[in-house]
Amino acid sequence: MPHNVRLIETLSMMMIITSVAAVESHNLKRAAAAYCLQALLICGLILAFAVGNPALYVWALVALVTKAILTPWFILRYISRTGAEEVRPIVGFGPSVVLVSVILFSFYKLTHTYVHVLAPTPESAAGVFRTNLAVALTVFVLGIYAILSRRDAIKTVIGLCLLENAVHLSLVSLAPNLRETALIGIATEVVVTVYLLLYVISGIREQLGTTDTFELAELHW
Amino acid sequence: MEQITPSILTQAVFLVPAGAGLLAWLLGRLRRVLSEVLGLLGAAGALVISCLLLSQTLQGRVLTGWGLELRVDSLSSLLVMLISGVGLPAALFSVRYMRHRRLTDSSGRDITDARLPAFYGLFLLFLATMLWGCVTNNIIMLYVAVEATTIASGLLVAFYWDRRSLEAGYKYLMLLTVGITFALFACVLLYAAASRYLPGVDAMLISELRGVADRIPRSVVIFVVAFFVVGFGTKAGIAPFHPWLPDAHAEAPSPVSALLSGVMIKMAAYALARTVTIFFPTYHVLTAFVVVLGGFTMLLGGVMALAQDDLKRLLAYSSVSQMGYVIMGIGFGSYLGVYGGLFHLLTHAAAKALLFLSVGAVIYATSARSISQLGGLGRRMPVTAVCFLVGAFSISGLPPFAGFMSKLTIFLAGANSGMWAAVGVAVFTSLLTLVVVIRAGQAVFWGEPRSEAAASEAIREAPASLWVAMAALAGVCVLLGVYPQLAYPVLNRAALSIAGVLAGH
Repeated sequence: MPHNVRLIETLSMMMIITSVAAVESHNLKRAAAAYCLQALLICGLILAFAVGNPALYVWALVALVTKAILTPWFILRYISRTGAEEVRPIVGFGPSVVLVSVILFSFYKLTHTYVHVLAPTPESAAGVFRTNLAVALTVFVLGIYAILSRRDAIKTVIGLCLLENAVHLSLVSLAPNLRETALIGIATEVVVTVYLLLYVISGIREQLGTTDTFELAELHW
Repeated sequence: MEQITPSILTQAVFLVPAGAGLLAWLLGRLRRVLSEVLGLLGAAGALVISCLLLSQTLQGRVLTGWGLELRVDSLSSLLVMLISGVGLPAALFSVRYMRHRRLTDSSGRDITDARLPAFYGLFLLFLATMLWGCVTNNIIMLYVAVEATTIASGLLVAFYWDRRSLEAGYKYLMLLTVGITFALFACVLLYAAASRYLPGVDAMLISELRGVADRIPRSVVIFVVAFFVVGFGTKAGIAPFHPWLPDAHAEAPSPVSALLSGVMIKMAAYALARTVTIFFPTYHVLTAFVVVLGGFTMLLGGVMALAQDDLKRLLAYSSVSQMGYVIMGIGFGSYLGVYGGLFHLLTHAAAKALLFLSVGAVIYATSARSISQLGGLGRRMPVTAVCFLVGAFSISGLPPFAGFMSKLTIFLAGANSGMWAAVGVAVFTSLLTLVVVIRAGQAVFWGEPRSEAAASEAIREAPASLWVAMAALAGVCVLLGVYPQLAYPVLNRAALSIAGVLAGH
């Protein structure tokens, strides 16, 4: 069991708050900032785990560069060229906040209560690991919600980043002894995927004059 | 008994095309022809190394590299051979095809030559990542490799940079990345569960995970299998996770479509087979689940193909359908079922790559791809017509073509397992496929032209470099049909490597 249990749990729970901020903020710059803050929280979590496992310092550095610096930089650079206002989502702000709250509380409660069903080891179903796994799954579902309910292509990219952060949190908790090569591979791919998606979205904006995914309706069936 | 042999070929098979791709990208900026030559050399190099790997594994060796990080057994060498075997004809086809459609920037300036180095660089990188995925023995790196194939091919899908290809590219990158994130979750859970029983890095090695699969808690297995099915299944085009596939396969340049439909989805099916089948001996009910998944996929793909007017979308939906056969075959769980599934993997790769290249030749000649706009091309494009029909007959399961033998094996495996409903669905879908592709072939190559594009006097047979690539694949479809024993040595060993797991060995 790691030493800084209270700190880890606090950082972990803050990941949910930043997820909600990233999903619900209609200003894309603020949403990207919330994502960046979440990435810093992950770095903090890794550092907290690193007290008992110094090999994790490299992991924290990789997460800092890829998640907290490069990815937000790509997103913000793109936003600065195109404008910060999100295309109006499918679900309005009020109903969305209610929906997110319901998803958040019910899913967190469900996963925290029945975490043993998913926990690969008895240790991961106890204490701080239990909280982390429940938070990871909740953030994962919020990411899926963002992708499904948002019309703005940039917002769907931010939703995708939330998914990746959720899996990263589970990685830190369940597989802290992961090799550097695997870790760098995972972290790098996220950055490259985000970059490519933004590149393609910029092409869509050039062609269509919008980043509204509802306009992408040329191909169906 | 397996003979473990360290070999540099395990690294060379993906590093050679990756290196050639990098050079094609860099040197192609100096002279366009350099990128084309390097594109061909990289693909040819991969094929030569694949042949060497295959010959080694046929002698009973299991080749390893970077410790046990890379591992090539018969199953891996079959996939590696398949990928590079389709890669070279696709690269050859690209040379004339990619010069033909001129690309312009927003000011109307021709940028085709400037973009070709990027095409060949990404093309070879795409090949390399698929090959890497088939030789890695590390479950986390398997995820990394599968996602790397998406990254490498994403810009190839959007290569024409018009409204349709950009839409397809966005959906492709987004849906596949979301899907594959589920697979990463499954990898993490599996690794964490296995690390109780396996020391250190061993808990990541697929070859070692088999041995402890029965000790992983049942509830965790359910989530791991479900996440793998969503993750790798999305990439493999399994219904209902297939919506990205018709868009991407239709909008990509035809040689890329040949790779996407011919081999990429097979590589994902391989990833699924490698991971999910380790649980089959302990959880036999999973085999029934996989059979149902396969049946649903083949039927849905077949029905959707029936409704298409766009030739490439028709072929893409047909790929969804044919993947159902592969999945069903493996799902039967018997040696014969696995053999049939892998045989169909092989025959469909050749036939579907052939069909996409044939349609590419039609597009090259007419600039049209809607069935309702074409017609009467058989007289002026006889080689293309014959190649298309060979591919069409093969995927429909008509004798004496390769698809007949592989489908027959799957039908027999289903009958042997007593799963008559599944056999009924498979036979029905095969008839449906026959209707779909023969109707399309008849409409495109016979009758009267239905548009000015198809009636043009300028329409000629595709250039030699295009039809040579098609003829090579058509030859494979015929050869494996009349002499299926040719593939027996590799298929037998590959099937045993999965069926052995199923039997608990």
